[in-house]
Amino acid sequence: MVTTEIENKSSSTESTPPPPAGVDFFKFDVILRFLLLGASVVALAVIVTSEQTELVLFQGIPVLQPAKFKYSPAFIYFVAAFSVSALYGLLSSLASIYLILGITASTTGTAGGVAYIGLKGNNHVGWIKVSSVYDKYCKHLASSIAVALFSSIVTILLIWLSVYTLQSRVPK
Amino acid sequence: MEGQSPMVLKEIEVTKSSLEGKINLILRLCGLVLTLVAATVIATDKQTTVIPIKLTDSLPPLDVPVTAKWQYMSAYVYFVVANVIACAYATLSFIIALANGHKSKLLVTLVTLLDAIMVALLFSCNGAALAIGVLAKHGNSHVRWNKVCHVFDKFCNQVAASCLISLLGSLVFILLVVLPALRLHRRT
Repeated sequence: MVTTEIENKSSSTESTPPPPAGVDFFKFDVILRFLLLGASVVALAVIVTSEQTELVLFQGIPVLQPAKFKYSPAFIYFVAAFSVSALYGLLSSLASIYLILGITASTTGTAGGVAYIGLKGNNHVGWIKVSSVYDKYCKHLASSIAVALFSSIVTILLIWLSVYTLQSRVPK
Repeated sequence: MEGQSPMVLKEIEVTKSSLEGKINLILRLCGLVLTLVAATVIATDKQTTVIPIKLTDSLPPLDVPVTAKWQYMSAYVYFVVANVIACAYATLSFIIALANGHKSKLLVTLVTLLDAIMVALLFSCNGAALAIGVLAKHGNSHVRWNKVCHVFDKFCNQVAASCLISLLGSLVFILLVVLPALRLHRRT
């Protein structure tokens, strides 16, 4: 049944003149927008739930020290930016989705830069690595940043799709 | 659009597209210069200062020279590489736009698609460099990362200047893609 339907479809598109572009791509557009929404929500949920309390030595005395995303301005920016992209990614037109791309890309860079220092440390300025202490927290951060990177890529694909459909619809 | 005759429409279209072509070229030149300057400013950034370190109370403090270089911080390496890539791309696309005009539709589409990637690249490198800059300026007491900008004041100022220039560069790149997008919306 399915194969015959597909054959029918292909034969009908061959016989009739090609339909105006944009009709075909609308489905992909909707899928990509929902992927963007889903990725933004997942990234937000993962980073907001990242919290870990560990015993750390502070001047020789063990102290219970929590790690939260609120403690770093970079991660606050991350949460704010992904709230925006989750809300506006669904509705935005091509011109404003470039701004969404700017926001998601810059926040991925910001969080990635800080998380990289947390992972590796930097001995030139004496910033110790913290991932060995807060392992669960760092895993949350890493997966959140990975999802953020994915949503930036989805935004770029969305832009490419919009550019392609708009350019093929422009009257010559 | 409907009321105008096709001839008038075509004339308007031609004058508009030549103006847009000029704006496009100027923006690409601005992007080229800004990313080049940003990369140069941070690549020439190096500062050596002497800080006194007190080992014991009885001995006088030991003077240790410390150097700050952009290579020491992975975020700044990424920043320089991204700016150089954007600069090279701006040069290439400027030459393409100058030679091609708006004749080949394939090239125009390709440049538009690559512009989006450059926007993402520049914004992410600005985010990374600014985040490290804020950490260096203020430190973070929760993970005990100390601030370093009171020692390396000239280095930090130069990084800040470079970030500002690169931010302007990425705004130019986003204008480069938003203006044609607005035009496409108006025409369809």
